[in-house]
Amino acid sequence: MKQKKNFVIGGIAAAALIASLALAGCSTTAGVEATGRTSWDEQGARILEKNVVFNSSGLKGDIQIVDVKSAMAGDIMRAQATLRSKDRDTLPFQYRFEWYDAGGIEINSGAGSWKPLILYGRETKTIQAVAPDPRAKEFKLKIREPD
Amino acid sequence: MNNGLKVLLAAAAIGSLSLSGCASTMQYGDAGSAKPISTEFGSSDLQQIAEAMVDSLLVFPPMVELTSARRPVVSVDRVKNKTMQHIDTESITDSIRAKLLRSGKFRFIDRTTDAQTIEELKTQQDSGLVDKKSAVQFGQQIGAEFLLTSNFSEIRQKEGSTTDVYYKFTMSLKNLKTGILEWSDEKEIRKVFNRGTFGG
Repeated sequence: MKQKKNFVIGGIAAAALIASLALAGCSTTAGVEATGRTSWDEQGARILEKNVVFNSSGLKGDIQIVDVKSAMAGDIMRAQATLRSKDRDTLPFQYRFEWYDAGGIEINSGAGSWKPLILYGRETKTIQAVAPDPRAKEFKLKIREPD
Repeated sequence: MNNGLKVLLAAAAIGSLSLSGCASTMQYGDAGSAKPISTEFGSSDLQQIAEAMVDSLLVFPPMVELTSARRPVVSVDRVKNKTMQHIDTESITDSIRAKLLRSGKFRFIDRTTDAQTIEELKTQQDSGLVDKKSAVQFGQQIGAEFLLTSNFSEIRQKEGSTTDVYYKFTMSLKNLKTGILEWSDEKEIRKVFNRGTFGG
């Protein structure tokens, strides 16, 4: 009897040990992608087609993309996204903007860098970016948890 | 030893094999990574500063108006590094200049290559190797209208196990004819290091 009990205790401890070792390297930085594309309606006015994709369910519960806007500064496009933290705690994120021209080709491919962002509990914050040059007609905002 | 302990030891042995921290690794990192390694000035800080300054200059309304009509010629001054670190501040201004140039809104002159330019023009003029019709004459370069100046400072605070470093990069665009600062902006970065209870 005592031998069997020791087996069980040993087995549970072993399982816990293996599980904790497996989880140690287990952090994902999948995130959220929000895209905005400029197009023009019949009257020639500029409109923004928006789309938001959540790649991580954890992030979906933490962050909400309230709004995505864009404006022109001369002939250069500006983008702004309003983010809201759904969590009570202070959360660190990283974000980056990528820009595409009218044909969907990325401008300055691979040159963007991640920028740090801190959202306090239930805070609403805006992040902005300016296109690298006047060719940009579409942007993609990526948000992820820090690596 | 009893069987439970044997099972536990076996699990620990298998688990330690899965921990790959024993072998050295070599791989390419992400150049755009924003993971702070220390409170010293890092690559991500440089990228953040360059992007913030360029974005600000491109959308400033008087600048938008000026650059809609023509592309002004700008000269970039050295950064006044008032921090206690040795920082290659020219790489910050190089990044800013490259981004502004690629936006197509500004033109730049580069004073750091003047010596090579003079040598090249002298060779074209005097050596007799170059066809006079295609040789570049002295005194035809375009003068800069604006000067881009910057200051970089830090405030370092250390209390107990916390080190807090605050960086501020200020950049201004000076009109060389009127002496007026047409644009100015600053970028602030804070890096905080908390030493853990168990060292390192």
